[in-house]
Amino acid sequence: MSRLVQKSPSVCVDLPLDNSDVCHKLRLLGQLLSSCFGPTGRLKQVHNNIGGHVVTTSTSSVLLAAISSSQPLLNLIISSIRKHISRFSDCGLFAAFLCVALTEQAKQSGVRRNVVIGVNKHLLALCTRYLHQEDCWCKVELDFSSQNLITLARSVLSSKPGNMLTAKETLHISKLAVQAFLLTVPCNSTGTATLGKTVTVSVQGHSVLDSAVFPGLLVDMPDVFDQEGNQPSSPLCVGLFSVSLTGELSEVGDGIIEVHSGVDTHSQILDQLLEVGKQVVDDGVKLFVCQKVIHPVLQQYLRSHGVVVVERLGVNLMQPLAQLTGAQPVATLHTSIPATAYGKVKHLISRQFGSRTLLHLLPAEESEICTMVLCHRSETMLSELKVACQTTEHVLRLALREPLALLGGGCTETHLAAYIRHQGMHDISETASALECSHTECQRGVEAFCRSLESVAAALQHDGGNSLIDLTCAHHWTLPADEHSEDNLGRCGCGMMESSPSKKWSHLNSKYLDFCPAPVSRDSTVQPRVLDSFTAKVNALHVAVETANIALDVRYIIQDVN
Amino acid sequence: MLGSTIRNQQQHVGLQKLSALAGIAHSSLGPNKKFKFVQDEESEESALVGSCVRVLDSLEQTCAVGQLVHETVQAHQRVYHTGSGCLLFLAGAWSRVALECLRNGVPVPHIVSAMTEGMDVCLAVCRKCSVSTGGVGVGPSKGFAPAPPGVGPVEASQATSNGQAATKVTHKTLNTSEHRKTKLSRHFCGGPTVRQAPRPDIAHVAEGLSHGCVRAMDLVVEASRLQSRMSQQDRQCPAFDVTKVVTCVLPGLPEEHAHVSPGCVVLLHAEQAFVARHLKERHLNVALIHGDLSSTYRHLGFNGLMGGQHVCDQPALSRLSKEEEWLVKVESLLLDLEVNLVLVSGLVSDALLQRCCRRHILLVGKVTVLKEFSNTTGAVPVTYATQLSKHCVGAGVKVAVLRDLRTSVTAVNISTSGSSSLVTAVITSLVHGKLQALEDQFWACAYRVHLALQDRALLPGAGETEMSCVYHLRKRAERQVERDRQETPYRALVLQRMADSFVDYISAVMANAGGISRVTAWTLVSQRLRDCDTQGGFSSDLSPLVQEEVPRVYDNVSVKQEAWRKALDLVFLLLQTDAEVITRVDRSGDGAPAGLMLL
Repeated sequence: MSRLVQKSPSVCVDLPLDNSDVCHKLRLLGQLLSSCFGPTGRLKQVHNNIGGHVVTTSTSSVLLAAISSSQPLLNLIISSIRKHISRFSDCGLFAAFLCVALTEQAKQSGVRRNVVIGVNKHLLALCTRYLHQEDCWCKVELDFSSQNLITLARSVLSSKPGNMLTAKETLHISKLAVQAFLLTVPCNSTGTATLGKTVTVSVQGHSVLDSAVFPGLLVDMPDVFDQEGNQPSSPLCVGLFSVSLTGELSEVGDGIIEVHSGVDTHSQILDQLLEVGKQVVDDGVKLFVCQKVIHPVLQQYLRSHGVVVVERLGVNLMQPLAQLTGAQPVATLHTSIPATAYGKVKHLISRQFGSRTLLHLLPAEESEICTMVLCHRSETMLSELKVACQTTEHVLRLALREPLALLGGGCTETHLAAYIRHQGMHDISETASALECSHTECQRGVEAFCRSLESVAAALQHDGGNSLIDLTCAHHWTLPADEHSEDNLGRCGCGMMESSPSKKWSHLNSKYLDFCPAPVSRDSTVQPRVLDSFTAKVNALHVAVETANIALDVRYIIQDVN
Repeated sequence: MLGSTIRNQQQHVGLQKLSALAGIAHSSLGPNKKFKFVQDEESEESALVGSCVRVLDSLEQTCAVGQLVHETVQAHQRVYHTGSGCLLFLAGAWSRVALECLRNGVPVPHIVSAMTEGMDVCLAVCRKCSVSTGGVGVGPSKGFAPAPPGVGPVEASQATSNGQAATKVTHKTLNTSEHRKTKLSRHFCGGPTVRQAPRPDIAHVAEGLSHGCVRAMDLVVEASRLQSRMSQQDRQCPAFDVTKVVTCVLPGLPEEHAHVSPGCVVLLHAEQAFVARHLKERHLNVALIHGDLSSTYRHLGFNGLMGGQHVCDQPALSRLSKEEEWLVKVESLLLDLEVNLVLVSGLVSDALLQRCCRRHILLVGKVTVLKEFSNTTGAVPVTYATQLSKHCVGAGVKVAVLRDLRTSVTAVNISTSGSSSLVTAVITSLVHGKLQALEDQFWACAYRVHLALQDRALLPGAGETEMSCVYHLRKRAERQVERDRQETPYRALVLQRMADSFVDYISAVMANAGGISRVTAWTLVSQRLRDCDTQGGFSSDLSPLVQEEVPRVYDNVSVKQEAWRKALDLVFLLLQTDAEVITRVDRSGDGAPAGLMLL
């Protein structure tokens, strides 16, 4: 019996950005994300309401994956940023906060929405053009032989305070990240070069400085009764199975099999497994790896013939292992295994990390697979470190395609804002006529855009300090809360400039006369101390502006409440 | 509909919670451990707990801070089995330091960097204070005679490691020993000043590491002696191998009956005990089963035939059931292979147990040391009994009835004649509720000895190391003040407060040890520090609170350093956390609860 329930009508919200609840929640989202921003950002404890596991994080990928809102407009922003993170890993908080700031600034400016959207589009194009220009002064070319790569890696790692790394530990992990990255770059490949893979193994309860990178793969040793047999000379033949060898009929699907009571299916399948085992032993396999469970009887058979058995490898390690050994994963038991399906490893070493015993598989030939063993004192910090390392790896890979980086520490944002302010004001009449709006409207639109960019730089400061901009190169400077004179500012955010009494400053939230930012006088000995990924940041800028434009463009929200 | 909620922590509630939670640790420091009752108001159940780890285990962690603390303490306990009280106490003390600094307007990054510097100072103190245990081994076996008095290798090696300093220290020691007046307790005291030639004995180190659990430590020493005697031929093996120690908890006997016996001790029911008595003093053949021993047990990851239907062409009545079939098969297999003893890591089927008892085959379940038996007897562990074959069966196992309790259980000792250093500590008590605490104490002591041998170094205990930390932290703070007022105005304050938290720690240890009040303890510590200042230096050897005839107290280097680091990690995590994001909140209810903001 079915029951008909009358559907309730859909709820329609007009002009969501004028709704106070939406605005309040948007501000809350902005505060939540901006307070996580940068090396002194604050952490968030994320957990569910039924006492689930607590995650302490300031990483955008973890944070944004956890939160959802009752307001579709906010969810639109969140999911758009998530998409950016899934593609580029880095600059998620930048994108999210910039998007919220653009939306709020546009609202505050009081300019018509369509004008703001037009101005935003125009300025985004201006930014993109400038960033790709030869004479873009907030960009550095990455030289793979210099310290730049390590600086880039260190900037990513140190922007995640949840790692709880000391300066020494940060440097150690940065070097490891670069080392791991370099190991995944093929040395002498012809034709299309494919990058290898870094597999991360985390070990809890040990010093960060015990972390290390190994070429090849480290897999969990079967905890039950490992045997350190006398290994024959290398290379060793490897058999790799993706099919379950647990001894059940896994390939039946949804159908029903009728079995005669007298028939022992278990032993029949086992016989088939032992057939496989026999062939493998005859073919001279010395390392037998299965993605899933291996029947204990088969394990016993293989071990008794001197084969090292590794079961429950997991799907994540299958592809790297296949690449490392050159083996083809066997996916069925019904045909005999062709000789070409077997792979090779050079050597096996058992390595101990705390309570974990790992089997180190060394590649027989040049291979782009490496394993990073990450150690940290507690689970919370380890999981945060793991995410940071994955982000670092991704950022380094992006740098391979586009060997550029942007100055970090807020300098790119202030510099870009100064450039846009100058350039935007310069051709304001053209813009205004193209957008069919007044001069003033256009001007306020430009101001809103620049303020949004500057507010991102200012968001790096969490302890009541002031953000300043110098009026020559437009870099970002921080004045601590208890300092009132600008005499002793030290270095700018990215570390390229040093303060001097002759410099002129302006507070970020105050008006200054627009100027064309100059390049930093290049002293080749001074290297930037903080670098951001060019590719990730440029994309983040696009995502932020375009998402803000959509949010500003939404006229109605229609919600089906059934 | 589900969403997220954000709780803002303007007042650093996290640190306050941590400080409150750390109150548990106050009475668990020092040698006199006190029991606590944890009572559940609803179910009226209660538990007797002897350590702060157990308190945390038995508390329901409802807040994020509680969970974080529990996770940290458990992680520490899993590796070190000791030092959790120190971890928790200092986490609490340092969270108060952080709170006070926040109240004084010190920005968070400054607190973090200054406390990190403070930690570096303390770790440097540890490195400087630590004394080598090199050469400590097991002396010639001479029963359980008391260890020879004297400090032995510890101080001697320090003398060699920093020769010049040590001579200065000796000089000072002689001078200051005249000041000794107060005896607080035997646990709060420094070492005798007599320097003897090294007289290596694990018992001496153990004594200093007992931290009040004398009886438990005696068991550990006994275990170590037994292990070294059992592996006489193998000189390479360590003096104490904690991985080859198991415990067996035996209720219903007075605590004095606790002892260590070679091999593994298991508790058996009457019928199994009967078989054991039958088998005693014989060399037995052994089979090892990994997993349960029952007809229905299947290995991990095996789900059987999914979607299968059984079709019969005749009524099944006349035939044996599946289980019956299996029982017959296993029984005859065991008989064929002449197996007398089957050790199973999981549970044993009752029906099979009955059958085998009749055939004088002893089945023992829940044995955790299959690997050790596999190594020493040559038996190969298998998952299914049907896998057993001639070469899977090991030989040379002996069974002895240890003690007939005239109750439902009998303690039976299973040992191998081969060179195995597996020993079992049998822990007894008439009070059932105490057994857990006694077992915990044993493991704490065992790991302290194990880690001391592993680190090859020890720290002066009973607050000595902390005292040195206080001294050096204060010195560093003073230097900060002198050096640069503008650049690091907060550093001195933070370091000073960190030093105070150590004084707090020492006075808590003293108060618990000596039955004096915390205030008196504070005064004594301050007095002592003033003395150090007037003498213009501090040495861990220098100890005015000394009683000549009492041995020194030691702490483990790695345990202390890790506990400190983890405590600081906890404080930093909470200090830098400003909001709590609660996900999957049901928003059907009206409005957000107080202090929460809905996203």
